[in-house]
Formats: sequence, structure tokens, C-alpha cells
Amino acid sequence: MIHLFLFLPLIAALIVPLIPDRQIKRWTAALAAALTLGIGLGLSVNGGAALERHTWISQLGMTYSVSLEGVSLLLCLVVAFMSLLAVLYAGWKVERSSAMLVLVLLMETTLLGIFMARDLVLFYVFFEAALIPSLLLLSMYGGPNRLTALTRFAIYTIVGSLFLLAAIIGVKVYGGAPTFALEDILKNPIPKNVQTILFLGFLAAFAVKLPLFPLHGWLAQFHEENHSSGVADVMGTLYKVGGYGLFAWALPLFPDAARDLHIPLMWISAFTAIYAAWIAFSQTSWKRLLAFAGLSHMGMVGLGVLSLNATAATGAMYLLAFQGVYMGALFLGVGMLASRAEINAARPEGYGLGVFQGGVMGSAPILGGLTMTLWLAAIGVPGLAGFVGEFSILFGSYQVAPWISFTAGLATIAAAAYALTAYQKTFWEVSPEDAHSSSEHPDEAHDLGHTSLVSRIVSDLTPLEWTILAPSVGVLVFFGIYSAPALNLIQPAAKALMGFFAGGPQ
Amino acid sequence: MLTFPDVSLTALLPIIISLVTACIATLGGLYTSRQNVAYIGLGGLVLTLISLIALWNNNNTTSFKGALLADNYAVAFSSVIVIGALLSLVASLDSARKAQLNFPEFDALLHFGITGCLIIAFAGDLVVLLIGVEVMSLASYVLATFQTSRRAEEAGMKYFLLGSIGSAILIYGIALTFGATGHFDFVGIATAIAQKDFANNTLLVMGSLLMLAGFSFKVGMAPFHQWTPDVYAGSPTLVTLFMSIVVKTAAFAGFVRVFQVALGSSDAWQVPLQILIGLTVIVGNMAAIRQNELKRMLAYSAIAHSGYLALAMLSSPQSGSNALVFYLLSYTLMNAGAFAVIGAIQKDDRGATLEDLRGLFYRRPMYAVAMGLFLASLAGLPPLGGFIGKYTLFSAAFSNGYVFISVLCIVSSMYALVYYLRPAMMMFMRAEGGEMPLQLEPRPSSGVTIALSAVGVLLLGIVPGVVLGLLEGAGKLLQAML
Repeated sequence: MIHLFLFLPLIAALIVPLIPDRQIKRWTAALAAALTLGIGLGLSVNGGAALERHTWISQLGMTYSVSLEGVSLLLCLVVAFMSLLAVLYAGWKVERSSAMLVLVLLMETTLLGIFMARDLVLFYVFFEAALIPSLLLLSMYGGPNRLTALTRFAIYTIVGSLFLLAAIIGVKVYGGAPTFALEDILKNPIPKNVQTILFLGFLAAFAVKLPLFPLHGWLAQFHEENHSSGVADVMGTLYKVGGYGLFAWALPLFPDAARDLHIPLMWISAFTAIYAAWIAFSQTSWKRLLAFAGLSHMGMVGLGVLSLNATAATGAMYLLAFQGVYMGALFLGVGMLASRAEINAARPEGYGLGVFQGGVMGSAPILGGLTMTLWLAAIGVPGLAGFVGEFSILFGSYQVAPWISFTAGLATIAAAAYALTAYQKTFWEVSPEDAHSSSEHPDEAHDLGHTSLVSRIVSDLTPLEWTILAPSVGVLVFFGIYSAPALNLIQPAAKALMGFFAGGPQ
Repeated sequence: MLTFPDVSLTALLPIIISLVTACIATLGGLYTSRQNVAYIGLGGLVLTLISLIALWNNNNTTSFKGALLADNYAVAFSSVIVIGALLSLVASLDSARKAQLNFPEFDALLHFGITGCLIIAFAGDLVVLLIGVEVMSLASYVLATFQTSRRAEEAGMKYFLLGSIGSAILIYGIALTFGATGHFDFVGIATAIAQKDFANNTLLVMGSLLMLAGFSFKVGMAPFHQWTPDVYAGSPTLVTLFMSIVVKTAAFAGFVRVFQVALGSSDAWQVPLQILIGLTVIVGNMAAIRQNELKRMLAYSAIAHSGYLALAMLSSPQSGSNALVFYLLSYTLMNAGAFAVIGAIQKDDRGATLEDLRGLFYRRPMYAVAMGLFLASLAGLPPLGGFIGKYTLFSAAFSNGYVFISVLCIVSSMYALVYYLRPAMMMFMRAEGGEMPLQLEPRPSSGVTIALSAVGVLLLGIVPGVVLGLLEGAGKLLQAML
């Protein structure tokens, strides 16, 4: 069952190109994604799937070990859910989307594999393999500057990954484990003198993927140049697995190095959170804004994981999971806005929907309302899922390093600033062109009313968009109020992680 | 009473079959068309492969008193050579006409070259190795210049002049090694060096360094790599395909035999080899980034790959040779596929530029997907054969203590990725203003080569255990023998 969960999207991705008819293609893709989600939910009722281990390449000590429990289960369910939404949006809303469907499904398998792998090389294989659909989505469906964006993205990711590969080889050689399976590696701890350098190798890859300052340079352009529908950005958001990599692999394998380095790393994470929020505030393009908002959240996730504190780690994984939902849904929401406005590739602030739309709320109130809810989740308003994560992180890291926690807490305030300003400019205010024309022709403006200027009537949500935004908001509200199911999945893993730091965090 | 010389025909069988095929190809051209000669050649190669499989696990038969050694590694290297030759010959069935190579002498020379490569793989002593190297090189020099175009003639001439110098250096090294140890055969050399009263160390060191230089010429390692870009780019694409896989495999077979079996206990050559590897991977990868033309880019990538392959010599004999054979197999498939795609889409034998690749996916999706697979495998992205190959090579050298050079090779793979990624992504990007027109007639035989290579690369990445298991069994036999 667990293997079906992992490989069903891949099988569907191989079948979809062979189907000639567009209707059948998208229904097949949607069905596959829905089935995957269904299997995942079914497995979660039983508390996940236990470890299954098979030999893959015995000569090199690589096993095929997968399991689906705890944090992995939560993250895989989020991936399956958001991939379903991405497939639905791509299939029905995006033109010439057959390749996009295939790539989204391929990426879903690789992302599920990243979270389910319990063998170090298998993890690496999925980690790298997810790069290919991501790059293809950017090159096939990207904006005019996509070559620069994808070169940067590729170089940053690959450099990190190759340091990770060197460290993986080092783990096997210096630790002396017979295979790469997690259980075997943990039984053969790595000597303290090499832990630091190997930890840095792992950190290189995960710091690019989180991302953390200063390795975040690829992020803004990556999101900006991706297709305006936001589908590729959803998958890109789910691909931010650095926090999970630290939690599940780097910290258990290198506890001493982590203990030595975690305070500077916490400072870097907190700085990332504030720095990204600061930059987000001045963005004029929606996609860039969302990119930096995501970066700010990831700074919080990094802070939580690197605090070496059970509460903070729990919060970090919770935040990681649900930011996948609300950031992804926000990207799709911006995609919906973009499909209603004209995208002018020659706009000065770059490709993509600008923030100064104005007055959308008047004609598309439900779109506005649901987007508002998503933004409130991103800010961390209690009652929505983001709050539990952010609060736990701040609470846990305060117990370790109060000043760092305070700095990161400022990012929460900054989040409100950038989120609400952007929202106001797009949904509430009168757009600059309309304001200009209304001041020149005051009589017409008075007749028409400022919320229904002819140039700004946009349609409200279509049924497809309902199916995308409503479940996302529903999930966020549900887990904001009743977060026990998710927390119960994460907490055992967080406590187990703390067991590696028996000396206590300091 | 005449004693019958030790001529074990079993060990000689693959070479004999290949030689007979070459002779038939030479004479057959007088009686029938090139197409038929090519088919006969294909049949001969298949027979050779079968005879190789029969020689597997055959208790290391030798012939000519150890001058030819048919152990499992010889069989493994030879099989990779024959597989590469098969892929080239299949691709030539339709691309030879386009490249103006559609005459039977092409096949004759091809088979003579393959025979030379097989002799190298089966060599048990330095003189036989040299015979093989010379036969292979002469055949390649002529093949490179075969097309009646200025470019090909220039490429062949360069190859001939520089290659002859390389061979001369190799011969000088062999002579010095003989002078130092008194033996030509690998086992004899190894025993002579291992003896406590071995006095000719200076001579041996000079001999091994000269042989190192000679072999580096043949495989294209820096700073002896200058011929590779010009020759690869100037020769017809079909010939480049052959050279980049078969000739390289054979040269490495000889390289690793000499340095791990014969000179294994001497520590004169490890440091110079590391310097060469470091230079090679840096120069190869940095130059490739600046290339706009695909054949030259793949030539520089071949230089860099020679550096990675040479890491096998820094590993313990068993794991190093296993990794080498596996990587050579995946490298054969990747390169055969990549050059076959270039051969299928090029307008003439100047090859394809990056701009020609733009939007290939929207015109010929299968070529684009296959080429993407080959480029990703060359870059070392999982789950393809190239990743497993790179991983085995790097970890073999790393675990044998050569940490710095393995990490350097890993780092250089990083910027290698840029120049593999660019063409791969260009294929999937639509051109603004329409794509450039390509000569796209149907190419069934090239298609077969491309398909087989793509499937091979995928299989080697996902289930490499089959090949690795076979090689590990070979390794155990080797250890028992030593």
C-alpha cells in the first residue's frame, strides 16, 4: 500500500502523455492525484505505514526503506492535498497544460519520496530527482527571464546537493555503517571530530533548500518567472524541504556538531525571518512578495528546528506542513487574480501581477475574503493553522535563547505589515489609473461609484476556484482550532529527536 | 621434437572473430554493398559478444604464456567495448550515408579498430598492449579523416600527429620499465617490483611517469588533452561517437591494467596521477562551460570524465575496477545516445549548436526526452546510471584514503552541471519567433541506438545491482588470483 501511495503519481505521469484526448488526460491526472490523497488518508487512519525495507543495491549498501509515520505522514498528506489542487487548477485553467500535469505528478512522487525515505541515499535520490520536474516546469512554462532564474536555481541547489553527497560518502566511510538505512546509520555513530565537517555538508544542501540567508538568492526570481497560474510555485513551495532534512537527517546524525553550532544558526534563521519580511514589504510584484513571505516563514521553521527544543521543533514541523497549504493556496489565488487582469510583461517591476490592482474587493468579494483568510493564516492569527506553529516556535526558542526569539517575533509583526499592505493595495484601494481618471472626470466617477469602475469589473469565483480555495481555507481553519491530530503526529518524533541531545540544549 | 606453442584458442576466440569480421569486411566490399557489409559486421560483433559471455568465469585462461589473459575483467571491458561498437554500427546504418561515409572501407577500419581495442583488453603484457594500442590508434586516425571535407582531414591529421607523439612516449615508458624490471608481462613486473632487493627504482619511476603521460594522451587527460576538442568536433559525428566510447574504454582498460596490476606496489605514480586528475577535471569542466557548439562541449565533457574515470586507479584494485567498468558501461550508453541524437538532428557534420536545440521538444519530443536523459546522466543526477557510476567511483577513491581529490572531483561536478543543464533546458523552451529549421528525416537506426541507450541508462540507474553483482563476483576471482 505504501508503495502504491508513493508511485501512483509516477505511473499516472507515464500514462498521461499517451492519452490523446485532453478531457480524458486531465480527468486521469485528477483521478490519480485524488486516489493518492485517498490512499494517504486511509493509511493515516491506521497511524501511517510501518517501515518497509528491501535491498536495492546490496553492493553499495543502498536499501529501499520507506515508512510513513509521524512528521512524514503529515507532510505527505499536505503534499498529496496540494498536488491535487495543483492538478485540478492546471488541468482546467491552464492552456496547453498536458506537460504541466505530467510534471506535477512526477514532482509529487519525488516529494513524497523525500518525506518517506528512510535510507540516506534513497533520500538523496528523491531530493535530487525533484529538481528535474521543477526545472522543466520553469523552462517550459516560465516568463521571459526564465533562463537566468533556472540557472540560478539549478546552481544553488546542485552545489548544495553535491556537498551533501560528499558528506553522505563521509557518513558511510567514517561511521562504518553496513548500509545507508537510517536505523543502521544511527547504530554506528559518527566520531565527534568529523561530525562538524559532515554536518556542514548536510547544512549546505538544506540551507539552500530552506532557504536561509545568504543562500536564498535563487528564490525570488524562481517564483517570479514561474507560470502566472501559480501551479509551479505550489510545487516549488512544497519542495522547500530543508527544514525536514535538518529535523530528520542532519540533527539525529550529528548531534554534537548541532549542539556546537546551533546558536549561530538560530541567529541566521531569525535574521532571515526579519530580513525577508523587510524586503517583502517593499515588493511591488505579487509573486516576489509571496516568495519573500515564504522565505520569512522558512526562517521561522529553521529557528524552530535548530533550537534543539521539543516544543520549537514541533512548531517548526507544524508550520512547515501548513505553510505548504496557505502559501500554495495564496500562489493559486494570485494566479486567479492574474488570470483576471492583463499581465503586462513589460511592466517596470518585472514579470508578473503587480500589487497595484485596486478595487478587486468590490466585484470579487469572495475571492477577496478567502484570500484574506489565507493571509491571516500566513500572519499567524490565532484560530488559523499558522498560529500554532509560529507560537510554538517562539515559545520553544525563547526557552533556549530569549533574544533570538524576540528578534524572530518581530518578523511576525512585519508579516502583518507586508501582508495587509499588499492586500489593501490590491483588493481595497482604488487603482492608480482609476484614481487618475476619476479625478479628471469627477461626474462619471460619481455616477459609476468607485468600486465598480468599468475597467475593474472582475468576475468572482468560478466553481473550479471554489474547489481550490475553499478546502484550503477549511483545512487551515480546522487545524487552527483543532490541531491535536497534527500535533499528535509530530510530537513523538520531536521528543525522539531530543533524545539524541541527551546532554540538553545549550 | 617441436613443442607446440601455448596457443589457447579459447582465450583468443573473441579477437579471432573480430579479426575475421574485419577481413570479411575488407574483401566483402568488392562483392557487395556497404549495407550488407555492415550487417555482416553486426553479425560478427554479436558472435564476439557471445564468445565473450562464454569466456566468463572461465578460470582465467591464458594464451601465449600469459601474454593474453582472459580473466573476468578482460571479458567485462571487452563486453563494454563490443556493446559500444554495436551501438555505433547500428547508428551508422542510416547516418553513414548522410556523413558521406557510405563505403565498406569504413566498416573494415571500424572492425580493425575494434580488434585492436579487444587486444588491449585481453593484454597480459606490455608488448601485446602496445600492439593493441597501435592498431586501435591507426584505425581511429584514418576513421577521423575519412570524410572528404577539410575539417575531417584537419582533425585526422591533428589526431595522427599528436597521437603518434603520445604513442612514442608510451613506447619509451614501456622500454624503460622493461629495463628496470626485466619483464614485459604484468605479473612479472609486479613480482619484480615487490622483491626486497629491487634496485632500479629511478628507472622504474621514469618509465611509469612516461607511461602515465602516454596513456593520458590516449584517454585525453590534461595537460595532454589538446587534441580532443579539435578531433571530436572536426570528425564526422558518427566517428566521434565511436571514438568517444570504444577507444576510451579500451584505453582505460589498458591504463588500469598497467597501473593497478603491474605497477600496483610502486608508489611513484600516485601523486602525479592526482595532479593530472585535478588539472583534468578543472580544465575540462571550465572550458566546457564556454562552448556553444555541442560536439566541442561533449569533447570537453569527455576530458572531464576521463579525470573521474582515472580515480579508479586510486582505489583498491577490486572496488576500483568494478566502479570503472560500471561507469564505462553507463558512459558508453550516455555518450552513444547523445552523439546519436546530435547525428540525427545536425544539418552537417559541424554538429549542432545550442540554438539548434532550442524548442526541440516541441518538434521531436522523443529526441528531446532522450537527450535530456543523457545530459542528466552525464551530469550525475539520480536516478540515472551516471549518478551510480559517479557515486561508486568517488566513494571507492574516498574510502581508499584519497579524500582531497574525491572532494575536488565532486566540486568540479557542480559546475559541470551548468553546461549540461543549459542544452537540456533549451530543448524545452519555446523560441520566440519560431524555431530554426532542422533536417529531420526519419532515422530508424539512429532511433534504435538512442532508444537502447536511453533504456540502458535508466536501468543502470534504477537497478544497477545486476551489473554490480556480476562485477563483484569478478572481483572475488581476481583477488583469489592475486
